[in-house]
Amino acid sequence: MTASNGLFALIVAVAAGFFAYNVQRLVGFLRIGRLDDSRWDHVPRRLFNLITIGIFQRKIFRDAIAGPMHAAIFWGFCVLTVGTGEFIARGIMPGFTLAHFMPMWVYRFYQNNQDLWGALVIAAVAFALFRRLTHRVKRLQGAETHANDPLLILSWIGALMVTMFLAEAFEMVAFPEHATPFYRPLSFAFANLVSFVPHDAAAVIRSASWWSHGLLVLGFLNYLPYSKHLHVVASLPNVYLSNTSGPGQAGVMKYMDLEADVEQFGAKDVEHLSWKSLMDGFACTECGRCTAVCPANITGKMLSPRKIIVNVRERLEQRAPELLMADGRGQRVETTLLDGFITEQELWACTTCRACVQECPVSIDHVSVILEMRRNLVLGESRFPEEVTPAFESMEQRGSPWAFDPGDRGKWSDGMNIPTMAELAARGETADILYFVGCMGSFDDRAKKTTVAFAKIMQAAGVNFAILGREEKCNGDPARRMGNEYLYQMLAKENVETLARYNVRTIVTACPHCMHQLGNEYPQFGGNYDVIHHSTFIEHLMAQGRVPLRHDLHEAVSTFTYHDSCYLGRYNQIYDAPRQTLKRALPVVNLVEMPRSGDRGLCCGAGGGRMWMEESEGKRINAERADEALATGAQAVAVACPFCMTMLHDSISSRSESVKVYDIAEVVAERLG
Amino acid sequence: MTNILAFSETRLGELRRAGLETVTAARRVADATGGQVHAVLAGGPGIAQHAAKLAAHGADVVLVLEHDAFANYNPEALTAVLAARLGSGYRAAFFAASALGHDLVARVAARMKLAYASDVTEFAFSADSVAVAHPGYTNKIVQRFVLKANPALISLRAGAVLPAENAKAGAVEALAPVGDPTATRVKVTLTEKAAGGKIDLGEAPVIIAGGRGLKEAANFKLVEDLAAAFGNAAVGATRAVTDDGWRPHSDQIGQTGRLVSPDLYVACGISGAIQHLAGMRTSKTIVAINKDKEAPIFKAADYGIVGDVMDVLPALTEAVKQARAGA
Amino acid sequence: MKLAVCIKRVPDMEGRFKIAASGTGIDEAGLKYDMSDFDGYAAEVAIQITEKAGAGEVTVISLGPDVVQETLRKALSMGAHRAVQLKHDAPVSDGFAVATALAAELKDGGYDLILCGRMAVDTQNRSTGVFIAELLGLPIITAISQLSVDGGVVKARRELEGAYELIECPLPAVVTIDEGIARARYPSLKGIMAAKKKPLDVKPAQLGAITYQLEKMELPAERAAGRIVGEGKDAVPELVRLLKEEAKVL
Ligand SMILES: Cc1cc2nc3c(=O)[nH]c(=O)nc-3n(C[C@H](O)[C@H](O)[C@H](O)COP(=O)(O)OP(=O)(O)OC[C@H]3O[C@@H](n4cnc5c(N)ncnc54)[C@H](O)[C@@H]3O)c2cc1C
Ligand SMILES: Cc1cc2nc3c(=O)[nH]c(=O)nc-3n(C[C@H](O)[C@H](O)[C@H](O)COP(=O)(O)OP(=O)(O)OC[C@H]3O[C@@H](n4cnc5c(N)ncnc54)[C@H](O)[C@@H]3O)c2cc1C
Ligand code: SF4
Ligand code: SF4
Repeated sequence: MTASNGLFALIVAVAAGFFAYNVQRLVGFLRIGRLDDSRWDHVPRRLFNLITIGIFQRKIFRDAIAGPMHAAIFWGFCVLTVGTGEFIARGIMPGFTLAHFMPMWVYRFYQNNQDLWGALVIAAVAFALFRRLTHRVKRLQGAETHANDPLLILSWIGALMVTMFLAEAFEMVAFPEHATPFYRPLSFAFANLVSFVPHDAAAVIRSASWWSHGLLVLGFLNYLPYSKHLHVVASLPNVYLSNTSGPGQAGVMKYMDLEADVEQFGAKDVEHLSWKSLMDGFACTECGRCTAVCPANITGKMLSPRKIIVNVRERLEQRAPELLMADGRGQRVETTLLDGFITEQELWACTTCRACVQECPVSIDHVSVILEMRRNLVLGESRFPEEVTPAFESMEQRGSPWAFDPGDRGKWSDGMNIPTMAELAARGETADILYFVGCMGSFDDRAKKTTVAFAKIMQAAGVNFAILGREEKCNGDPARRMGNEYLYQMLAKENVETLARYNVRTIVTACPHCMHQLGNEYPQFGGNYDVIHHSTFIEHLMAQGRVPLRHDLHEAVSTFTYHDSCYLGRYNQIYDAPRQTLKRALPVVNLVEMPRSGDRGLCCGAGGGRMWMEESEGKRINAERADEALATGAQAVAVACPFCMTMLHDSISSRSESVKVYDIAEVVAERLG
Repeated sequence: MTNILAFSETRLGELRRAGLETVTAARRVADATGGQVHAVLAGGPGIAQHAAKLAAHGADVVLVLEHDAFANYNPEALTAVLAARLGSGYRAAFFAASALGHDLVARVAARMKLAYASDVTEFAFSADSVAVAHPGYTNKIVQRFVLKANPALISLRAGAVLPAENAKAGAVEALAPVGDPTATRVKVTLTEKAAGGKIDLGEAPVIIAGGRGLKEAANFKLVEDLAAAFGNAAVGATRAVTDDGWRPHSDQIGQTGRLVSPDLYVACGISGAIQHLAGMRTSKTIVAINKDKEAPIFKAADYGIVGDVMDVLPALTEAVKQARAGA
Repeated sequence: MKLAVCIKRVPDMEGRFKIAASGTGIDEAGLKYDMSDFDGYAAEVAIQITEKAGAGEVTVISLGPDVVQETLRKALSMGAHRAVQLKHDAPVSDGFAVATALAAELKDGGYDLILCGRMAVDTQNRSTGVFIAELLGLPIITAISQLSVDGGVVKARRELEGAYELIECPLPAVVTIDEGIARARYPSLKGIMAAKKKPLDVKPAQLGAITYQLEKMELPAERAAGRIVGEGKDAVPELVRLLKEEAKVL
């Protein structure tokens, strides 16, 4: 061991120590967050996510250009990290080689890959720099981003690669006996190019490159904790720890114990968020994929899901030291995450469509942060858009966000011979299936047509079903998504009680919000049912041949496009059933897709309680969606949600006289034989 | 004890239509039970000029209280005068169920320690009592009371009795203030007509609202004309209309606009979406004009006309003008 | 400043009412109850005054059976400081009798300002506030849409039909609140929790004598909803007749 080996060992020790200190400091920050449901369960599922989303970059590839580019850098990094390990070890202990630990052919393969990936990374970095500097990719812009950081990081990575090749090549020049031309072909080719350099000079260059590479590696490691590129370290754990509860469950809002938690309801500052939400801040790469698909952001609202996450990290780095230093050495800043970083206006703009969550390559959950902050606004501070008050009051007083007489809930069924559960019970009978109609389906004139259509289909198929009539209450979704957990729990508990009274097991509904609540969130209150959305149910009945259809009808419409509801699609992964239903009902009709469909579908703008708020900032989301639907040239738009129906009907009718919006049930009912 | 008193409301020196309604009502009772109608006319200098009009509507006597202190409404001084006068023996007294009438009748009743009937739409006098009807529960229920107090104090809902001429002598008698009418605790310092004739949607007793059925911004003139014919009406709109910029957002009625409940709501070319209904369903009377007889607005309306707004509105404006002129 | 707000518990007006078998009341089955709208505005105004001053106390008072406690709790959760229930179980339809009981409670409370609603949205008598003022010998301003209290003087605005007036009187005083002045706030959960710990006294109501008796309640003559008067402009004369004679809005 030479002096230079000793010096290097010392530098490595200091760098590693500093890095370890930073990691434990940042991990320590997470301790100020609130407890979260176990994130240590479902190990196979988590490993699966880690491998597909983390290692194989499944979500990264959703972007056809940046996908391969990032994958090249990421995979290159994985491979080269092993080489870096060997490099550092050799710097301390001359002569160290991994070849001692593996069969020679594996070692040769590994060497080969070092060269190959090094070159790929250089190419990807060059492309990335070129793209950033010349193209100003829209999703990468934004006031909240740290624009110079990526440039620095990319150059740094480029320098790492260059120094690696330099060291390797000049080593070959200086000590030709070390050359392994076949196993490091690129380095060797490069070495050939510079073979004119005298051996001594080559040895100096090698040495300089070697030291530069070593210092760059250690510097990079220690720069990470201060950079958005912390994601290099944080993203894999973040993917592993992400919500694994699966379709339907992933979008469930956390239960809140209203009796116990009297100090702070929801989140006003970072310490009220779960530790996992805080960790999301470390994992974010500011790639902007979330913001690029956010319907609110696309239409010109202030809300940017990326900014929410960036703000969480910024505030965390400010707030955690304050809280963790018991002696108050931390410098206190009189501000909070709410107002200081994130405004009320941003929070209310969210439709809870989960497009951001769907898109985020490192499985960040923006919606949890937004909803926890809404809970604080409503429960803690009674701050919300004033037009929401009547909806809250009406839900409380009349069990529906619109001020209708609860006695009129079942009125749509007049003359249809549909029993209520109460009527059946009085006769000592019961029904196989409960049709939970929901507020829109009960009171909104347009949605009532869907309600009637679906009921007719079930009648034609001989389904034994009943409704609750005046006993039905709003499922509470608008209240919960607007942060009013108190009101929500009141409604949910009442519904669970009513359903228990009739021993209801199976529920159908034409409203994805009702479905999501009853099926996925009511278990928090002891309500466990099999809840089926009408698209799935009708498709099932049709597949069984139970729906008598006429085929002698002339089709007035020749092209349909289908708009995905967020609560059906991204929340519950139902993309096919409504399309299949349409295809079965309209065998000769053409189904065209909008550019944004399936799990990339654009929200209609009504979710998250937006249905009860005015939308005056920017373009209306439903207008954006209507334009997209009309651009397909379809003559009709099909929906499978009463909220989507209102939003699209509203925006399409003001743009086109001829294009109509139908619920899939209406399309089928129209053809009942 | 068979005379009937009618308080004739004035404002800024003008006699109000409600002032004729109380006299007409009193006349009707007096004709049935025997007795005289004494109309009270209070106001600043010059108010006496209206005495003749009261006589023409059936006042046997017009009690004139003309004094600077009454140029604005002077609730405490008027209460003192009326309580003293009524104490001298009347069968009943009629007030208008207006903002001032409500204030005054309650004060007089309180001073005399009497029960009274407010916002009366029907009344029937018998020997020792008066049966009255008074709407409650936002007009969803009619409450029938028997008022045994003497005198029976009644505030009369506008339109319950329409002014009718029935000329009587109308002898003018001066009515003196009781005590110093300027030494009151409650003082009205200013009375003023609502600015620019534009009535706020929240306060307008009548709202004429237009929807996309009007086809273009210029056609809102038809809506404005109808509002002008009513005199006390404001103009509202649906979101479809405010979105298109035909009207300002401040005119939007509905879930995300203003919540209103006027006495009369006329919906012109409005489909009746749930978000619109959320803002106006509680209106006392709803009229809908729409060319589509299946439009949901008809389900919320008390009266509907199926037809083109372009035809119906001008005709309705004309008819309302005539009806208002005739009154 | 000490403020008192009289609050009446009333049924939700959106429901469709049925007359009870007695014929003098409504059938309460299935009805939801809440604070009368104007009383909600009154409570809001009072609470805002103490919030702005950073001092003072708001007492809310309601006369009725034990269920009114729920309504009083709501006022407490909005921010009122204490509540008093004047317990009386049977319905009373005499405004004077109710006002007598309220006045008895208010008399020695040392209140600077007493607020009532312009009217109770169910029975709509519009009398209680004025009666209370008379019984307490205090000045009153009714149906106000704006209020300021400054240097012992109340300044208010009242909306008239197509006009308005500005009114003032010295404190202590009674005011009744019209709409437009303030919207009742939506209580936060924090407020609801805090309200559980605020004092709520229950006292027997000392009703006054009853001189005014409700005979009967009935539903108005049914106007078929969605009644189509006719088609086109020919229907206008009939519409105008109905507006005049039946709806009485012309
Ligand atoms: C979140 C959200 C909030 C909303 N908030 C509000 C709100 O606060 N207020 C509001 O109003 N809306 C609101 N809406 C919009 C609402 O859903 C309806 O789109 C809107 O009320 C429709 O307005 P309209 O009736 O004028 O137009 P349309 O629905 O287009 O109706 C026009 C009507 O005019 C009739 N018509 C056409 N020509 C004639 C003619 N010549 N003569 C007579 N009749 C004719 C037609 O038959 C039709 O019924 C909201 C929507 C959303 C999604
Ligand atoms: C238990 C109970 C049952 C009743 N049932 C009936 C009934 O079936 N039919 C009927 O006609 N009347 C009923 N009354 C109400 C009674 O008629 C009224 O309280 C009284 O006539 C005053 O008139 P008002 O309620 O119309 O209020 P208004 O004179 O219109 O005055 C409104 C204001 O006075 C105050 N106020 C009124 N009542 C109360 C109260 N109880 N507590 C506190 N503040 C109050 C509020 O500030 C309110 O805004 C009932 C009252 C009680 C206590
Ligand atoms: S849930 Fe939808 S609206 Fe909300 S931030 Fe994410 S993408 Fe935007
Ligand atoms: S939250 Fe996810 S999608 Fe959004 S910028 Fe950060 S890493 Fe990208």
